[in-house]
Amino acid sequence: MSLSYGPGARYGSGWLLLGLGFGLLLWFIAAWWDMSEPASGAQKLLIGLGFLLVVWGIARVAQQFVNITNPVIGFTPAALTLLAVVVAAEALLRAYQVPTGLIPTPSRVLSTLLEVRDVLLRDAYQTVVLEAMVGYLVGCSLGLLTALLVSRYVFLERGLLPYATVFSSIPIVALAPVLVKMIGMDWPSKAVIVAITVFFPMVVNAFRGLTEVNPLSLDLMRSYAASEVQQYRWLRLPNALPFIFNALKLGTTLAMIGAIVGEFFGANGQGLGFRIQIEAGRFGFDIVWSAIIVASIIGIAWYGLVAWLERKFTGWHVSFR
Amino acid sequence: MRLSPNLVPMLVVALVVVALYWPIMYLANIPAAQRALDTGAALPCKTAFECATQLRSPVLPSPQQLWNGFANLMFPLNSPNAIPINAAVTAFETLVGLLLATLVGFFFAIGMVASRAFERALLPWIVASQTVPIIAIAPMLVVLLGQYGVQGWLPKAIIAAYIAFFPITIGVAKGLKSPDPLALDLMKTYNANNWQTYLKLRFPASVPYLFTAFKVAMTAALIGAIVAEISTISFQGIGKMLAENSRASDVVAMWVIMLSSAVLGILLVALVNGLERLLTPWRRSSQVVAVPTKETRLAAREGVRS
Repeated sequence: MSLSYGPGARYGSGWLLLGLGFGLLLWFIAAWWDMSEPASGAQKLLIGLGFLLVVWGIARVAQQFVNITNPVIGFTPAALTLLAVVVAAEALLRAYQVPTGLIPTPSRVLSTLLEVRDVLLRDAYQTVVLEAMVGYLVGCSLGLLTALLVSRYVFLERGLLPYATVFSSIPIVALAPVLVKMIGMDWPSKAVIVAITVFFPMVVNAFRGLTEVNPLSLDLMRSYAASEVQQYRWLRLPNALPFIFNALKLGTTLAMIGAIVGEFFGANGQGLGFRIQIEAGRFGFDIVWSAIIVASIIGIAWYGLVAWLERKFTGWHVSFR
Repeated sequence: MRLSPNLVPMLVVALVVVALYWPIMYLANIPAAQRALDTGAALPCKTAFECATQLRSPVLPSPQQLWNGFANLMFPLNSPNAIPINAAVTAFETLVGLLLATLVGFFFAIGMVASRAFERALLPWIVASQTVPIIAIAPMLVVLLGQYGVQGWLPKAIIAAYIAFFPITIGVAKGLKSPDPLALDLMKTYNANNWQTYLKLRFPASVPYLFTAFKVAMTAALIGAIVAEISTISFQGIGKMLAENSRASDVVAMWVIMLSSAVLGILLVALVNGLERLLTPWRRSSQVVAVPTKETRLAAREGVRS
């Protein structure tokens, strides 16, 4: 992009394209708000043009944000992308008059989300707080404990760790129905599924952190006559923290997936996974999407929380400097 | 053949688990058996202890029950209700899904490496798509694709791909960025164009990363395929067997299916490992050096490459 005019003009044209495209799409949505017949070919072409303009605009505007470190301002291109996709989906769905029972328009999903928020929040409490969080805490602490033992005793390392790596290639979904049958429909069965899912990544990661210690530091500890406990407290555990946080971050996703999949096999009439399964079966896709939005927001927030804790506790690590 | 030093400890652990299985099984099943006896169910046994191994829906199945269930579900090999065919169908869906995921992953990865603007606009959503419980979308996606005539194994492969594309995208992007700056400079001094740099330097450099990503993605794709089978009307596949037996409350069959799907997962990852060894033979030596064991240190001193 080595054109003759200055950077300001280039970005200006990007914002212009963006405004033009969004204007086109929004104008169509407003005009088609109450229509019930599909749009004509020319109008569909117009939507395509609007979307292209927006994409082109984002591509130009994003150049401006490439070197910005502030996370909020740097997020602008991504936010614009989401907005573009949502607006374009709304316009396309309206233009083709796709039945709302099949693919609900984003605006309809949002209004449904507001309508059924009480039910969804109760579902989220069951799925996230009871199942995912309890299972996550139990699984991660057990995993950490196992990693400590395995890193201390070579026999356990040789006997257990190969199994841990094998276990990571097992599909957890197959475990879910068995555990639900074994423990019951209530939330503890799902918490157990979550605990098992997050357990193995924690063992493998924490073990790596506890053992991949600089040999020179170990020698130093030895020359200080540090006891085993001191060695773990001052060298191995701090060294393992970044690895542990990696497993914790990975675990947030796994925990949500585990809880939701577990509910597919039986729940006590509550829970996000249960809601999604039931509503997808009777074409209530606006509620399904609302449930997915709730689950996503919680998932992202949880991940963000762990990432924030990570920055707080391992701010000294190379990857943050 | 040299024996792995892990073998003996692994066997000991396996033996301990097997030895503990019986007492735990009895502990778990005797209360259930007692309850069954108290309700006067027609059981071919008298005491709770005897019944513990013969319950219709045990908490933990006895080895005998597992063995019988295994024999029932494994044979005949070509029966549509037996595990081999269903496992093959699921494996096929998983592999097709992985292929699709690789294509999508390369597309995103090349975009991200070629343009930082592209990365800024899309990477947050690619990451966010992982913190989202994507599995939740599977039931909906299946119904949706079915409405537009996409049926059979394809929707399952698409869902598998959707779940597996993320590790591949990240892995390939890392791999494409991995060449030594000196090597990139060399390409520049050879006056190589962009296309040649990708073909001759960046793609080969990304292959080891691709395989590392494949190992994670394979399990993810398998999970995706099974979940897709569960949440749709499907006539074949591990997921269909799971759903069927879950509805029929056949606990022993569920255990057998769980164990076989575990074997399937392990086999698929082993397949990736085998391919990796076949296609990136130069990695083997570097891996050995990366983890210096006593043997390799000895070998290095003697100048022998193991």
